Amino acid sequence: MKCNLKRLGAFMLAVVLLVCMVGCGKNASDVDEQGRTIVKIGGYPEEGNEFRPAFDERIAEFEKNNPDVKVDPIKWNFDLNTFYTQAYGGQLPHLISTNFTEVVPTARARIVADISDVLKKHGYEGMINEQIIDALKYNDGIYSFPKGAYLLGIIYNTELFEKAGLMKADGTPIIPKTWDELVEFGVKIKEKTGKPAIAFPTTGNAGGWIFTPIAWSYGVQFVKENEDGTYSAVFDSPEAVAALQFMKDLKWKYGIVQEDTLVDNQRKKELFATGGAAMIIDSGGNVTEFSAYDMDNNKVGAMGLPAGPKKHVTLMGGTAYMISADASKKQQDAALRWIKAEKFYELNDEVKKNIERELEEKARNDQLIGVKPLTIWSQDAEYTKYYNEMVDKYANININHVKPFNDFVADCPAEIRPEERICAQELYAILDKCLQEVWTNKDADVAAIIKKANNDFQKDYLDNY
Amino acid sequence: MKLSRNKRTNAHSVLNRHLKLQNEISGWLFLLPTVVMMYILVWRPTVLGSVWAFFKMNAYTVGEFVGFENFERVIKHSQFVPMLKNTLMYVFWSFVIGYLPPIILAIMINEVVYFKKTARVLIYLPAVIPGIVGYMMWKSIYAPDMSGLLNQMLVSLGFDKYAWLNDPNFTIIGLVIQSTWKGMGATMLLYYSYLQGASPELYEVAILDGAGVFRRAWTVTRPALSATMLLTFVRQIIGTFQTIDGPLTMTGGGPNGASATLAFQLYQYAFNSGGRATGQAMALGLIIFVILLIGSLFYFKLNKKIEENY
Repeated sequence: MKCNLKRLGAFMLAVVLLVCMVGCGKNASDVDEQGRTIVKIGGYPEEGNEFRPAFDERIAEFEKNNPDVKVDPIKWNFDLNTFYTQAYGGQLPHLISTNFTEVVPTARARIVADISDVLKKHGYEGMINEQIIDALKYNDGIYSFPKGAYLLGIIYNTELFEKAGLMKADGTPIIPKTWDELVEFGVKIKEKTGKPAIAFPTTGNAGGWIFTPIAWSYGVQFVKENEDGTYSAVFDSPEAVAALQFMKDLKWKYGIVQEDTLVDNQRKKELFATGGAAMIIDSGGNVTEFSAYDMDNNKVGAMGLPAGPKKHVTLMGGTAYMISADASKKQQDAALRWIKAEKFYELNDEVKKNIERELEEKARNDQLIGVKPLTIWSQDAEYTKYYNEMVDKYANININHVKPFNDFVADCPAEIRPEERICAQELYAILDKCLQEVWTNKDADVAAIIKKANNDFQKDYLDNY
Repeated sequence: MKLSRNKRTNAHSVLNRHLKLQNEISGWLFLLPTVVMMYILVWRPTVLGSVWAFFKMNAYTVGEFVGFENFERVIKHSQFVPMLKNTLMYVFWSFVIGYLPPIILAIMINEVVYFKKTARVLIYLPAVIPGIVGYMMWKSIYAPDMSGLLNQMLVSLGFDKYAWLNDPNFTIIGLVIQSTWKGMGATMLLYYSYLQGASPELYEVAILDGAGVFRRAWTVTRPALSATMLLTFVRQIIGTFQTIDGPLTMTGGGPNGASATLAFQLYQYAFNSGGRATGQAMALGLIIFVILLIGSLFYFKLNKKIEENY
């Protein structure tokens, strides 16, 4: 009897566990019980997050205006470490957002759908900013819808600039026209405030990302496409050596960067927000992040990147919506309608409400409002004009602190260049190492470092592309 | 009717086999959930990963068979040899810095009379601190500016600041110190438990013969721990060969790859390559697996030796 009970107990336990595992693999239906198309939308904030109520309102409004669609919000955000695993496991929502640098790899891996037809059907052909659209294409297909784009600029601490005598009476900063002028500013800041002038990351690919436009301004070209469709690394050049030497001098000649070399992007922002540095190079839109460190928004300013010896250029990047290749045509259509409600070229009431809702949430959460970001539409589009008017309406800082950046975006004097399309993250990782090398070794041979980096990039990545 | 002797013997055998089978079925049923989980989470991924290492991978989509191409790419990577050297340096420094302290601490705690339990708890405390908290704490301690605790101590003693993790010659040593601090409590307890099993009469005889602490440690304690020390030696090689946490959280593999290991590179292949190097991740995983498999076979042989001793 005892033996029978034991066996029965073991058998029941085994069955329960197996059933659970079978249950886990069950596929969900594409329609709900009312026949509405279910579309899974990523980016749903966590419970208690300040942006969750606005997202919920948006869902309710969207379902009211689109009665054939049921929105299933998913707490999902892009993380490069887990993205491809989730994609393979069919765990991605139908609508996801990633960085511009992932558009080509995800399209190649057939993780995301070609939405050229869907875009055409919804009237988006020819509407998107030409400077951005090229970053979204792969083999003539369009695989993403731009969510937001950014230009790299300089974010500065108005208080430290004031102490260094670099602010004008009207609240705008004195703007360095070249990188050499920026260095002069940096030396002044160091002398007057004792703080590092600039916090510059060198890990997590962030150093390479920010060094890229500096190198471009020195006339560096990183990758060349050959006639046979292969790619060559071409940055073993005097221009690249000069650019890296400039970075080396920031530390050893001028002493205006932070002491810790091994800083990632988050730590860079933390250093700036806690008064540990006067400037960082970042997307102008990221000015909203410093309130999390209790930094007074009126201490934050923004301006464009200065020019280098050969060019005046800035880097454009951004995030893009993409639709999972697993989504049905109806789900693709529903996902694009969701995007339309937020980013429609021509204004309607729903879009206006979403814009104001977004800015009201930012104001409630004491995030900086004042920066007018690079638009995915042309500058004279209705959406752009309305958005900028709303930013002026809800601005919660001295707008002159960020006026130089807003002017830089509106009528950019610099060449706007998208991130490298081929092996961008790998290039950034290699450039990270170059920066680490020159900042940890005073006697580093810059030319040898550039040569090795060029050869490694070619051999390890471009030859296998 | 009484059965013949042979028939009685046969009946007993059948009955015994039947009972044995009944008991085994129960045992296997209890094991079944664990076996299934091990299959899903360990065996299947290991086998699949090893097989896919010979295929062209597009993210996690299996392509054509390419033989040893992935292995070739891994070994020909410009950073493979430096990272292999780094991995071996981790193993080397983990022995120099991390092998003896748990043994010494275990012997000391075994010898003390008062506050034995308190000492054990205090030494074990780092093991219960969450991993990421420990890494962040030590990164702050190692900060090269005056916010770093170590530099504050150095400057207060009249010395210059030191770069610590920013110095490529110290980075691995610094990370090994952090992992030793974290892990030595658990290893100390392992040695301590074996010391508790050592015969007390041997210690009494040694004391009566006039042996001091060091003499007792050499003549009584060392032989008692020798098998365990050998076991820990192998386990340390296996564990340190897979080092990734420290480089990932504290240095990003830098400065300039000075702290990057093979496991760190596997992570880059698997998660930071946009799906282009998944095949290489699997190939490198198989290479590490083979190295560690040889170490594990050695471990099982030694484990058998310890069990025979006890």
